[in-house]
Amino acid sequence: MRIRYFREWSVVAVLVLLLGALAIMAPAFFDGQPMLSRLAREAPTLVAACGIALVIICRQIDISIGSQFALCGVCAGLLAAAKLPMAVVCVGSIAAGTSLGAINGALVAGLGLPSIVVTLATMVIWREGLRWYREGQFINLPDQFQWFGLSQSAGQYTLLWIAALLLIILALAMKHLAVGRFFYAVGSDAEAARLAGIRPRLTTFTAFVLLGAFTGLAAMMNVVQSPQVDPKSGTGLELKAIAAAVVGGVAISGGRGNLWGLFAGLLLLITINPALTYLHVEPYWEKAIQGAIILLAVIADGVRSRRQPH
Amino acid sequence: MKRLLILSAVLAFAVGCSKSPKPSHNEEGAGKKLTIALMPKSKGNGYFISCKQGADEAARELGVDLLFDGPTDPDPARQNEIIENWSTLGVDVIAVACENKEGISTALRKARQKGIKVVTYDSDSTTDVRDFFVNQATPQGIGNTLMDEAARLTGEEGEFAIITASLTAANMNEWRKNIEARLAEKYPRMKLVATKPCDDLKDKAQSETTSLLSAYPNLKLVMAICTPAVPGAAEAVKQAGKSGAVKVIGLGLPSENRKYVKEDVTQSVILWKTIDLGYLTIHAANALGSGTLKPGAATYKAGRLGDVEIAGDNILLGKPFIFNKENIDQFDF
Repeated sequence: MRIRYFREWSVVAVLVLLLGALAIMAPAFFDGQPMLSRLAREAPTLVAACGIALVIICRQIDISIGSQFALCGVCAGLLAAAKLPMAVVCVGSIAAGTSLGAINGALVAGLGLPSIVVTLATMVIWREGLRWYREGQFINLPDQFQWFGLSQSAGQYTLLWIAALLLIILALAMKHLAVGRFFYAVGSDAEAARLAGIRPRLTTFTAFVLLGAFTGLAAMMNVVQSPQVDPKSGTGLELKAIAAAVVGGVAISGGRGNLWGLFAGLLLLITINPALTYLHVEPYWEKAIQGAIILLAVIADGVRSRRQPH
Repeated sequence: MKRLLILSAVLAFAVGCSKSPKPSHNEEGAGKKLTIALMPKSKGNGYFISCKQGADEAARELGVDLLFDGPTDPDPARQNEIIENWSTLGVDVIAVACENKEGISTALRKARQKGIKVVTYDSDSTTDVRDFFVNQATPQGIGNTLMDEAARLTGEEGEFAIITASLTAANMNEWRKNIEARLAEKYPRMKLVATKPCDDLKDKAQSETTSLLSAYPNLKLVMAICTPAVPGAAEAVKQAGKSGAVKVIGLGLPSENRKYVKEDVTQSVILWKTIDLGYLTIHAANALGSGTLKPGAATYKAGRLGDVEIAGDNILLGKPFIFNKENIDQFDF
């Protein structure tokens, strides 16, 4: 048990150290408004990362979510610009994500193609299709759209609540519901799972569809935060989400990991970048430090699995 | 057939636009009216539509026939097709904003072999297939304008930060170098406290600015030097409730920043006057076609723009233009 949670706790420890350093050297980091704005900006990332955790636990990967995110965002933006009600925009964005997820899912689970290849292809197709269609042009949204028509802080809290509820419900479902355990079973050993009466293909397909739906929701949560949609949004989202999952102890080899670890991993990742700004570190270091932290987490994982006899 | 129809429609339009020919402007002499073909990267783009307004103005003034055609969406292959049609048609000058530097060179080379003169504008081709490039802005012009505007808005005093696309983008590093040179030379009481990359993403520019505003509480201005960063920085300043207290300026499009400029979150958006770019392009094309502009010239008189500087084979549009609350509604690209 102690060893099992090694990575999660090491992530939490690093996070606490970092926050401690900030509290002493740059207490402005904890000011209310910038903190709330920052967390609201990352709430969509958490939602998408929850989805990617499901797929990784199934021993698959999806690197197309950044492109899915952009497509769903543009979709939501166009619906909103057409003055359709908020609920329709929301459903449209999630439906778009679900369809995109289903395409990946069908190719991976249905045809048995490697997910890295499939999603590499769809990543490029969605992204370049969007570039062809929008030419990078922003979509201007109606005035009342931002923050769901609420005040700024009410809108930001709403986003945090959506992300938090999704995280809690999903984390509990993964642990306590039989369906939740299916994902782990398929990820650890698909053949054994099949013999136990689980349908590995259906489970994998479901993971991709859920990821698509979550990405659609995440895109919607991003669109309401500003009066314009950038069709390039979500670039690099896949790296951030996968890194959060891996740093938080979700094994890239499938079958292992939980959403609390992912949450800790994401908190750490989204703290590093602003922390460097507050600590007045040269921006040239930013990506190198992020990379170093991911590498550390993977090394910890390697050490852990060597110690644990299979 | 369809293409022929479009072509004749374009021709009819162009002829309609230049009803009052003034052959006196054409130095090659009486009767011969130049035909200049102008191509945007894409026809529907507001940026190029406003270029065309200036081109029409110059065509009327000079009494030349202006053809305007281009792909519906940016499409290098379609650009080539249109250029080949123009070669067959036998226009005098082709002026083109190239979508793909290399992709277009064969078609342009063929056109030149037929004796057609070529100028590029907005985005250059390779230098061997055109006579001149109408260059809308030099790095020094951009750097100086940005820095001078920052100084004007802050009373030449205080801290400011730069949001760039990436720390490796060559053009932006060139601009930053010029900004920093101008800063060192003219504004000793101003200080550049941070330079942050935003990966050319509005969302990241917003996050970075949110942190900058609270990490550097004395910040007086944010300068965004890639287009998506200007509205991104503005949204962060607005959400922090610092509109007006922290100024926002940057290189961008009026349409993407109109809302923030009107709310006084963003004070100045810097770009070139696209109408003038179109106007100058047609003037240069005309002078080239009629033989009054030859390689090696140092200046050139372009109608209402007066004497325009030529650096090598680059015809310079001159100082960038500043969009602000007073004038931004006149521009819709």
